[in-house]
Amino acid sequence: MAIVLASICLAEIAPDAAGMPHPSYDGLQIGGDGAARLQHVGILGFAFQCLLLIQIILLCVLGVPDRNRTSELAAYMGASLAFMLFVAWKMYFGHQSFLATHETDYFWGFPVATAWQTYGTWLSAIPLVLIYSIGFTKFIYSEEDEETFDALLAERIENNG
Amino acid sequence: MEAFRQEIIISAVIIYMIFCVMTGLWAMRRTHDTSDFFIASRGLGPIVVSLALFSSTLSGFGFVGGPGLVYSIGVSSFWMVIISSTGYAVCFFLVSKRIRMIAELRNCISLPDIVAARYGSEAVRFMLAITIVLGVMGYLATQILAMAVVMQAILSGTEMFANIGLVACVTISSAVLIFYCVTGGIIASVYTDVVQGAIMIVAGALILIAATSVFDGGMQEATSIILRDDPETVMPYGAAGIMASLGWFFVFGLGLAGQPHIITKMMMNKNIKDNRSMLPLSLFGYAMAALLWVSIGIVMRAAVLDGRVEPLALPDDAASVFLSMFTNPLLAGIVFAGLFAAIMSTSDAFLNIGTAAIIHDIPKAIQGKSIDNDLFWARIVTVILACVAAGFALYSHFQDATLVALLGAFGWGTFAASIFPVVAIGLNWKGATVWGAVTAITFALIINFVSQLAGYTFPYGVSGQLVAFVCSMVLFIGVSLVSPKPSLESDIDRVLDI
Repeated sequence: MAIVLASICLAEIAPDAAGMPHPSYDGLQIGGDGAARLQHVGILGFAFQCLLLIQIILLCVLGVPDRNRTSELAAYMGASLAFMLFVAWKMYFGHQSFLATHETDYFWGFPVATAWQTYGTWLSAIPLVLIYSIGFTKFIYSEEDEETFDALLAERIENNG
Repeated sequence: MEAFRQEIIISAVIIYMIFCVMTGLWAMRRTHDTSDFFIASRGLGPIVVSLALFSSTLSGFGFVGGPGLVYSIGVSSFWMVIISSTGYAVCFFLVSKRIRMIAELRNCISLPDIVAARYGSEAVRFMLAITIVLGVMGYLATQILAMAVVMQAILSGTEMFANIGLVACVTISSAVLIFYCVTGGIIASVYTDVVQGAIMIVAGALILIAATSVFDGGMQEATSIILRDDPETVMPYGAAGIMASLGWFFVFGLGLAGQPHIITKMMMNKNIKDNRSMLPLSLFGYAMAALLWVSIGIVMRAAVLDGRVEPLALPDDAASVFLSMFTNPLLAGIVFAGLFAAIMSTSDAFLNIGTAAIIHDIPKAIQGKSIDNDLFWARIVTVILACVAAGFALYSHFQDATLVALLGAFGWGTFAASIFPVVAIGLNWKGATVWGAVTAITFALIINFVSQLAGYTFPYGVSGQLVAFVCSMVLFIGVSLVSPKPSLESDIDRVLDI
């Protein structure tokens, strides 16, 4: 990710890539030419987002004790990652499609690409929430873990007199 | 009812503040020692902790700055909100269980206590405590100033307080905050957070309904108006562009697990198993309250472009102008109370961790023990900390904004960059070393501070905070891998296996 980020910083600079003032209204910013802004870094940005999503899943797996990293967990995490990447794909290429055609449908108040970003990105992490909450005693903190921790606490109290 | 708009709003705010004072008095009877004062003796239920978690996450920035950002740069700022589900999930997976276990095992009352136990190092404790104190000053000053500005705007609309000054408003709002924090400590803080959280959820839901009814065609008509003016503003990366957006995705998503005022609350629940319900409850609360952030900004931008509303003097006026033009007085009263709730719930959390750092962690790191008569001094330091922050706020407003702006650099991004690797990764990776932790914190502070001081901007809207975060993670892992393998104390070693 650091390499991708460095590549973006070193890429040919597009004018007003981070927005510019609205010509008629103080306090408002506009994006201007979307295709030009993404010309040199669009795919790098998409790669950065995909790597970030992979990193998020790996971090969640890091939070699960070694012995609970079963094939069942791997399947759930893999499916969650696939869902997150699918949403990112629909968002990025939905935007690309709009830039090419200047036409868009709407879904629940937003242009389709933005709906994927707004609703899709938020919802795409819900499987992680479900894995944590529903699979809590299986993956995160089992009865065996509770007994181990209680024993550790008792030992500590005994040692401290 | 419209004729009494200002009176209704003021009544709602006064009722809310009286509630805070009463909660402080009630909690004082339950506060007997520093464990009660700082972590409620780990005796809180899941609903209380969940509401406290999310209400501390959403500060006054979410109610004022958030809608202002959407108004100004469009969908770019959505990234700070939509990442909440990922952020909370990562935070719970990495932090909630282990921080709670170490807190109970070692009787920890603060985050620096946790890292000192994890790394067996007073140097890491000291650096984290200093980072927290600097961050607390910046955060508190901006929150107190925001609270006073809003109070002045409300009161100056009445005949009686038409000429009320900012100093008086800082004094009133700080007094309420100090009172319930000093008397009731974290117990008062979390129980006010419960009501504050509930107000924020109701406010968010009602605002969404009000916002969708501004245009006949609902939200779609609003976004269509924006699209016709500048399509990029309402496309996934907004006006600020792809890397500014993805930077927020990174810093706000992963960074949640590095916010000391939030993860400290994960030490307070009664039972470790409560974590399974705390995650969805916190996320639900945040999502509901954040509806206000998203909906007001979009509707106000569309209303200005459509000529229904005069262009705003400042983007941060978006919420207050929306409330005065498009909501009935009762809803405006609830939302203004919600705004104070958002500011105070974050401020009290910062006061609490800042006080713990000063009276407990810094002395412990230097002389091996916290100061004597610590509950008394906790209350004194809470008052001093709030007064100094209020002073900073006023100095910043009337004299020179640089100081608070610099301290403000120690905000979310700096906490994320310096604390996330050390805590979130360190609690789950036995290979993390003291050298890795010290290097990560040092470089996170330097990069954030220098980029703020120099006003340096990276191409494509890449933020200094993102660069600092990525660098600190790379350095934390890299330095840990090349430095001598740590020998963990037996109990910590076993906790990291659970």
